[in-house]
Amino acid sequence: MELTQEYYSLLEDIQAVDFVLVELTLYLDTHPGDVNALAQFNQYAAYSKQLKARYESLYGPLLQYGNSLGGESWDWCKAPWPWQV
Amino acid sequence: MTQPHERLQNTPMKAYKVFHAPTDPCPPIGVKFYSTPPNLYVGFQPYNLEQFAPKEALRKGTLWPVFYDFYDNPYKK
Repeated sequence: MELTQEYYSLLEDIQAVDFVLVELTLYLDTHPGDVNALAQFNQYAAYSKQLKARYESLYGPLLQYGNSLGGESWDWCKAPWPWQV
Repeated sequence: MTQPHERLQNTPMKAYKVFHAPTDPCPPIGVKFYSTPPNLYVGFQPYNLEQFAPKEALRKGTLWPVFYDFYDNPYKK
């Protein structure tokens, strides 16, 4: 699997969106009534799901134990590993 | 000690003079710095604060510019 520029930009998008979700989760814990933040959270959650579906269709599973689809072949242990990327 | 006017100011870094006694065999340390991040001065986070773009937030470590706290080593100045 060749690590193209598109691969890295898609991965960065996923990281950025997930970071925003972490921040919003912590914010919503102390501001449960903030409907704007909740709307933003739901919007980013849907977008994150969409990005990850796209990533997994192109580059393989992100999570294990059924949290990601198995794909055509059981090759999650194939390189590159996260620290090699 | 920290100067009174500095204590309440929303500065990310503050300093204090380390006491050095005449009988102290070691060389004087002089000034030491300590970090005072913005969250100390904000209290309960207000609603609808301005936000960074997602990628910028990932780089800067926070979603809100108000809480951004860049560290540059005061000892290296």
